[in-house]
Amino acid sequence: MRDEATEISASGRLETDVLAGMRRPGLRYLAAVGLCALLALMLFALWGGMALTGMGLSGKNNPVGWAMLITNFVFWVGIAHSGTLISAVLFLFRARFRTSFNRSAEAMTIFALMVAGLFPLIHLGRVWVFYFLLPYPSERLIWPNFRSPLVWDVFAVTTYMIVSIVFFYVGMIPDLAIARRRLPGLPGKIYGLLSLGWQGTLRQWRHYGRLYLFLAAFATPLVASVHSIVSWDFAVSIVPGWHTTIFAPYFVAGAIFSGTAMVLTLTIPMRRLLHLEPYITVDHFEAIAKILLFTSLIITYTYIVEHGLAFYGHNPFERDQYLYRMFGDYRLLFAIMIVCNSLLPLTLFVRRLRRSLPWLLVLGVLVNIGMWLERFVIIVASLAHDYDPYAWGTYNFSWVEFGISVGSFGLFFLLFLLFARLLPVLAVTEIKEHS
Amino acid sequence: MTTVTMSRGTFPFYLLVLVVALAFFEYGGLVAGEGALLLTLVFWTALLQGVIAAAAVADLVGARWITLLRRQILAAYPLLLVSPLLLILLVPRLDLYPWAATPGQWLNAPFFLLRNLALLLAVYGTGRLYARRSLRGDPRTPASAVIYLFAFVTSQTLVAFDWVMSLEYPWISTLFGAYFFVEALYAGLALAGILCFLLPLRQREGLAAAEVRPLRDIGLLLFGFSVLWGGLFFAQYLLLWYGNLPEEVQFIARRLESFPLRALSVFFLTANFLAPFLGLLGRRAKRSDRVVGAVAALVLTGLFAERLFFILPVAPMPVGILLVENILFFAFWLLTVHSREQLLPTATERSID
Repeated sequence: MRDEATEISASGRLETDVLAGMRRPGLRYLAAVGLCALLALMLFALWGGMALTGMGLSGKNNPVGWAMLITNFVFWVGIAHSGTLISAVLFLFRARFRTSFNRSAEAMTIFALMVAGLFPLIHLGRVWVFYFLLPYPSERLIWPNFRSPLVWDVFAVTTYMIVSIVFFYVGMIPDLAIARRRLPGLPGKIYGLLSLGWQGTLRQWRHYGRLYLFLAAFATPLVASVHSIVSWDFAVSIVPGWHTTIFAPYFVAGAIFSGTAMVLTLTIPMRRLLHLEPYITVDHFEAIAKILLFTSLIITYTYIVEHGLAFYGHNPFERDQYLYRMFGDYRLLFAIMIVCNSLLPLTLFVRRLRRSLPWLLVLGVLVNIGMWLERFVIIVASLAHDYDPYAWGTYNFSWVEFGISVGSFGLFFLLFLLFARLLPVLAVTEIKEHS
Repeated sequence: MTTVTMSRGTFPFYLLVLVVALAFFEYGGLVAGEGALLLTLVFWTALLQGVIAAAAVADLVGARWITLLRRQILAAYPLLLVSPLLLILLVPRLDLYPWAATPGQWLNAPFFLLRNLALLLAVYGTGRLYARRSLRGDPRTPASAVIYLFAFVTSQTLVAFDWVMSLEYPWISTLFGAYFFVEALYAGLALAGILCFLLPLRQREGLAAAEVRPLRDIGLLLFGFSVLWGGLFFAQYLLLWYGNLPEEVQFIARRLESFPLRALSVFFLTANFLAPFLGLLGRRAKRSDRVVGAVAALVLTGLFAERLFFILPVAPMPVGILLVENILFFAFWLLTVHSREQLLPTATERSID
């Protein structure tokens, strides 16, 4: 009897603690929202300016036609990957610690995809012809080039976005019902509508469990397919440093690596600000740190293989490209990338550091810097220095591109801040189930 | 009826018999052909290293299926010593490699032998450490599993790049190394699937249903690995086909233009991807030991066919010798698993450890 009462009170406390984040916002929160909104506005203003004036406002040139904007696209698609990893893959592998992170990671996936989707549009210049990418019925018989991975991208990212949104929403329905029960007035009514009449009956749980499992099974191969296709945007080209068979698994691992780092970057402050320490424990962070270490090792393996085989074969262009990356115009960025992606994560072999939240936060930020630079180095260095010395060049970013990139972070964090205030940040029912 | 079993005392003798028998078949002048030993070595190195790696991963992530199969799987760890011995046997065959005539800084016979031998011995040493710790439930098991996995990945990468890819030097595929170690893990899981099928009924009868249930995860993992294998295969094939560069695509073109290689490619695609994917799609199939065992056997055959597909055009081999060598190897593996109670430390020894 007493045990049952303790259980009910623990469950009630969990609901109260999680829903506390959805109450009236504080001044610091509003200031953060204001700052992020300003940065997001800057993004849209600069994009508008670029659309009206032309792509000359960017630093792109001949031969470097893909640069910062495409770097941002690949970076944000990569960030989107850990959400599905934590929600779907770890669910299939029955890893219980996922319940502390899955809601935030799923939200992160959707927001990162929204931000990523902007960059091909910005990069188009004439954004109003974006529908050229879609398989629309054209009277002029001009069909999209289905042999181009850029078109595959449209399908892959859109599918991933749809499945991620459905997965996020379905997973949240029981928690929305809790919000309906616990929050008074209009918010309660809105959550009531969103919870789609959830009553928690046995029949509903059975259907819910089955749907969640199927969605997880659908989402898992999508993790691999989306970033594989992003990698093929580059790899199918016959460009030194791009045309290499390891690109697909390398990009997938890199995406999970950067996404996991972003999960750390977001959840460590969120845990503290929303007082979620009892539910997101240091053990849970240690498990995430192990994923970070594992993916870092895969990335390092790929660096070694790529560079090693460039010197193994008979291709002087390939060899020259990797020498250029290491010692050429972007050597500093290359060095930072190696330190952030390969060397610093090795510290996670030390248990004490795996369990140190300040270090994990710092490492999360550094890994994201490293992964952004990795994409930049891959994209820019290969285009700047390909086959013909006559066509070599360099790239310097413009402040408009830089502003758009900073603005994309503002937009992402703004969406995440709104999520943290409007929706339950932890999967309450799943935590109850496992506790 | 008496059965043949090995003990720790007689194991080196049996091992020597195996190596001498393989040497006899390879160099006895029975038939011409040079590639059989290389193929046997490549295939069994993947299998033996892969099955220990599968156990190491299971130990690291706390998977429950390993509990029932631990002794059977880890009984094979002494066999890791066979690979370095067979590599020494391969020395007279190194002229198979196109680089042997014009050695370079990386690809030259002494360095080739030295690094591969060192790595195979490192795999044996780390595998032994891991297996013994895992068997006695040592808390340091995860650390030794990580060390073994490092050695395993490095060794399989070199198996791919040195032993197989360099047969077609200067052909390159950067994915080849990762492809090989994932395949080795896949092979290891398939071997676990066969063990699961062979696990004596009497051993299961004494156990509760909850203890036997985790074995079903092997079916699930085989299904997952079939998708992963399919993805990696496609990623590699697509790039070579799409790029259509003469120096790259010739590797595929040469193999798809004639029988039996074209038939082999259809077979290994079916055995490694289509059959496990479709066969294990249903829940009931994943729970059936027979279906999992059959799929596992098919996957192993598919992986063997794929290795044959890689090596055959460069190093022709007589089918008879190839079959004899591999059947002999399989029999030796079965004998090792069968003799596990004599080969592995007993409960008393483990408690003393």
